[in-house]
Amino acid sequence: MPRYTDAVPASVTAVPARRPWQEWVTLAARLVLGGVLLVAGLLKVTQLDASVQSVRLYQLLPWEVTAAVGAALPIVEIIVGLLLITGTFTRLSAVAGSLLMLAFIIGIASVWARGISIDCGCFGGGGEVEASQTQYPAEIARDLGLLLAGAWTVWRPRSPFAVDGWLFAAPAPSDDPVPTNEDDKEPTR
Amino acid sequence: MTQNNRERLRQAQAAAAKQQRLTRAVGVGAAVLAVLIIGVVIAVLFQNQGKSATAGSVTPPHATSDGRAIEVYPGKAKAGAPVVELFFDYQCPVCKQFEGLYGGLMNTLASSGEIDLRYRTMTFLDQNLSNDASVRAGIAATCADVAGSYGAFHNEIFANQPAQEGAGYEDTLLRDTIPATVGISGDALTSFQACYDKQSTKAFVNTSNELGTQDLLAISKSVGTPTIHANGKAVSLSDVGAVQPTDPDAAAKLLQVFQKAAGA
Repeated sequence: MPRYTDAVPASVTAVPARRPWQEWVTLAARLVLGGVLLVAGLLKVTQLDASVQSVRLYQLLPWEVTAAVGAALPIVEIIVGLLLITGTFTRLSAVAGSLLMLAFIIGIASVWARGISIDCGCFGGGGEVEASQTQYPAEIARDLGLLLAGAWTVWRPRSPFAVDGWLFAAPAPSDDPVPTNEDDKEPTR
Repeated sequence: MTQNNRERLRQAQAAAAKQQRLTRAVGVGAAVLAVLIIGVVIAVLFQNQGKSATAGSVTPPHATSDGRAIEVYPGKAKAGAPVVELFFDYQCPVCKQFEGLYGGLMNTLASSGEIDLRYRTMTFLDQNLSNDASVRAGIAATCADVAGSYGAFHNEIFANQPAQEGAGYEDTLLRDTIPATVGISGDALTSFQACYDKQSTKAFVNTSNELGTQDLLAISKSVGTPTIHANGKAVSLSDVGAVQPTDPDAAAKLLQVFQKAAGA
């Protein structure tokens, strides 16, 4: 990893650590995606029956599968959310978060195309609504934004304040004149 | 330090660091995976509980054998009378309106055996309204079926529906007031209240909602209440609405609507 002494854009020279601006974008992206997933999961985990019912109203999955998916989804959201917020296995977690968003976008687009009128149930609740009260464009736009945050994090998983920094830490400095600031190396690169 | 020594040291350090990274990654990864698996298993099991009948659970005596509905006038229907299923949620304001307009006519048709009237309890509004009033009202009504007062109890619940959607039903209303109104007393009241307090019919109510959701999606293509099926076919609510409840021939006309839908 090169040091960034010359190449840092003027806009981020106030940043204390010598980190490229992309790492701060990644921090923001994983906090936003992780935060939304965590909140969505927490709101649903206390009402698993409602979560199952929401999944059913999409009419996409076989009846028997909906119960397992509806019950497991909030747990998966909470765990992926926590991993992203703490920056643990950042790239893998961002892949999972992005796949979730992709699935949600496909689900919402599909009910929209089939003319089914439901609330997405994204943050709990859900259910049938009047056709005039559906918010499919807004829901898809929101999930697209979150998918973008996920995709960025997959592309640039390195970020400050991440458990990955400890997890994949380089050895303690030796008498070697090798640069020692490679404290946040991702193994998957 | 010789060049050779330094090289050896560097290699040892690199190997140790690699080992440390591996240990940490495997450890944390295994922990995350364990939490994920345990969490999902618990959630699925937890969500599944109360879906199947457990010890102490009560099936309403006039429930159909498939657990989908309750016969409102058991044994009254004439041969060939259409099976009319009313899907409702006790917190649904339009269901209350429907009961007010057509409930009497439906009961007239059912008590004279012209239709085989079955009530199908839905509880999905609990989720929309973030309360448990639909399930509790469903439990109360099905517990009243044990005392033989299902239809009357059902009507009283709707008559007492709060004006504000989502306000829910008070326990005292379901447990004390309505039973008194429909004439459940003495031992019957004691066992009704035990049934309500222990939520003995909860498994039936939950199953009713599940199977109801399944049938509504299959036949009406959406989950909404009130919905009527006649012999398993959707009845158009606008056809029902075309019948004026005040018309002297309203009952006969409503029967025609059901027969037309059942035969269609």
